[in-house]
Amino acid sequence: MRLLVLIYMLFVTVVLPSPAMALVTDLSNNKIEIRYSFDGAQLILFGAVGTSLKDPDSAPYEVVVVVRGPNSETVVRKKERVGVIWVNNQNITFPSAPGYYAVAATASLDEIAPAAVFEKYGIGFDYLPLVVRSGDDVAAPEPAFREALFRLRAGEELFRQELDSVTKLTQGLFRTDIHLPANVPVGDFIVETFLFQDGKIKDRSRIKLDVGKEGFERAAYDFAHGSPFLYGLTAVVVALSAGWLAGVLGKK
Amino acid sequence: MPLYLPIAELSMNIFLVIGMGAVVGFLSGMFGVGGGFLMTPLLIFSGVPPAVAVATESNEITAASVSGALAHWRRQGVDVKMGAVLIVGGAIGSFFGAQVFTYLKSLGQVDLMIALAYVVFLGSVGGLMFWESMRAIYRQYTGYVPPKLSREDRHKAWIHALPFKMRFRKSRLYISAILPLAIGMLVGVLAAIMGVGGGFIMVPAMIYILGMPTNVVVGTSLFQIIFVTALTTIFHSVNTQTVDIFLAVLLLFGAVIGAQVGARVGLKMKGEQLRALLAVMVLGVCIKMGFGLVIEPEELYSVAEAAEQGGH
Repeated sequence: MRLLVLIYMLFVTVVLPSPAMALVTDLSNNKIEIRYSFDGAQLILFGAVGTSLKDPDSAPYEVVVVVRGPNSETVVRKKERVGVIWVNNQNITFPSAPGYYAVAATASLDEIAPAAVFEKYGIGFDYLPLVVRSGDDVAAPEPAFREALFRLRAGEELFRQELDSVTKLTQGLFRTDIHLPANVPVGDFIVETFLFQDGKIKDRSRIKLDVGKEGFERAAYDFAHGSPFLYGLTAVVVALSAGWLAGVLGKK
Repeated sequence: MPLYLPIAELSMNIFLVIGMGAVVGFLSGMFGVGGGFLMTPLLIFSGVPPAVAVATESNEITAASVSGALAHWRRQGVDVKMGAVLIVGGAIGSFFGAQVFTYLKSLGQVDLMIALAYVVFLGSVGGLMFWESMRAIYRQYTGYVPPKLSREDRHKAWIHALPFKMRFRKSRLYISAILPLAIGMLVGVLAAIMGVGGGFIMVPAMIYILGMPTNVVVGTSLFQIIFVTALTTIFHSVNTQTVDIFLAVLLLFGAVIGAQVGARVGLKMKGEQLRALLAVMVLGVCIKMGFGLVIEPEELYSVAEAAEQGGH
């Protein structure tokens, strides 16, 4: 599989005529299936930069790969002391926060381009655009909640930055590993690759990645969410028969 | 060996899950209790979202109560009429408990409610049990035998003044249906918000408030628990989709094995010693939950997905 991708990449870069600094990327796997033994997944992104083979004297290029998981309405809560106990007392809602967000690059971001460029394209923890909807009773400043979201998700390995690097294999080829932890949310992912040269974005490419529950897991999840009453009934029937069976076996 | 749980949406080690089931099964076999009040906190402490822990444990309790209830049924140890009234109360209680659960989940306060419920109920029940067993051990040590109270004396006058009297032949009682209905309701609420069977409240209430003879108490309470936890499972499935069948079956598997060993160990111990030990464990869980509420958390913030909270 990886070899095929690599061959394909070489074919694209060497044989096909390409415009200046054209960027081509592909994933080792476009579909991740979560099964009973799912303990996270690793996939590889291969990329090729068009002109580098023809024009080796051009300025060195840099690559930033951004992987975004499905967006969902996310609440960040803050505990405060009420009387003697600690209670969730303030909250801020991010109507559309990614469930997974990873940034990998050939160098550290500040070496690749000025901050304004990343800000413009919303790349990186500091510039990822997040809309906020806050309750009336929120007194704490919003950045603390945003920071908490990044800190907690990074702790779960769902948000990653400066952990993974993009490696240049040859002059025109590069690769990076994408790490999906076991608790990765399901849905449509977008893998975006930005090609930088002289601190400016020269080209970008997008690939879709589908993370889904498959087989038995998918059936169970769909059943529980699609027909919850029948699912509950099934759970009860399973419990009754398992309990009865346990009683029969236990007596022997 | 990691196992992905599709409803809980997390990976857990399969041996850890079965092991937890076995430990709680051992203790419940030894003490002759359901074990929900130990299992649910243990699941929460091991990282399962509290809502999933509570709903899934309801499912497991249904299974765990079946064999016991069948055994009591064969020995004529179930008062079906009393059980039916307790079930009606339990159904009402469980329905409202599940509604409150769903509402608080949407506010992000369900963990707090679960912890508070555990601290209040385990604290009071554990405290009473500890006091009672210590007194029994002390009395045995000094050789004091308390005068026996007749069943009629235990039965207070105000109980007979209540309306809607019903005759429960098996329990040899003629009492107001309001009482078992109210007890059933309280147990139903606890089942829905704490993920317990509620035997630890129901059994004492049946003996001391209703005045039921002890030979039908445990069977009737198990009979009620099967139906009420089954209903609770369905309510939680419909409202919040938090019942994980796979987690429940694995826990049950461990619990069945553990209970066999536990029951054998329990036979070798004295009743009041067992009760004292159980009281210490109940208080231990209560204190652990209580500390979680009182001590300043290391991380003040928490993240949750809003979409999964309001139901669909």
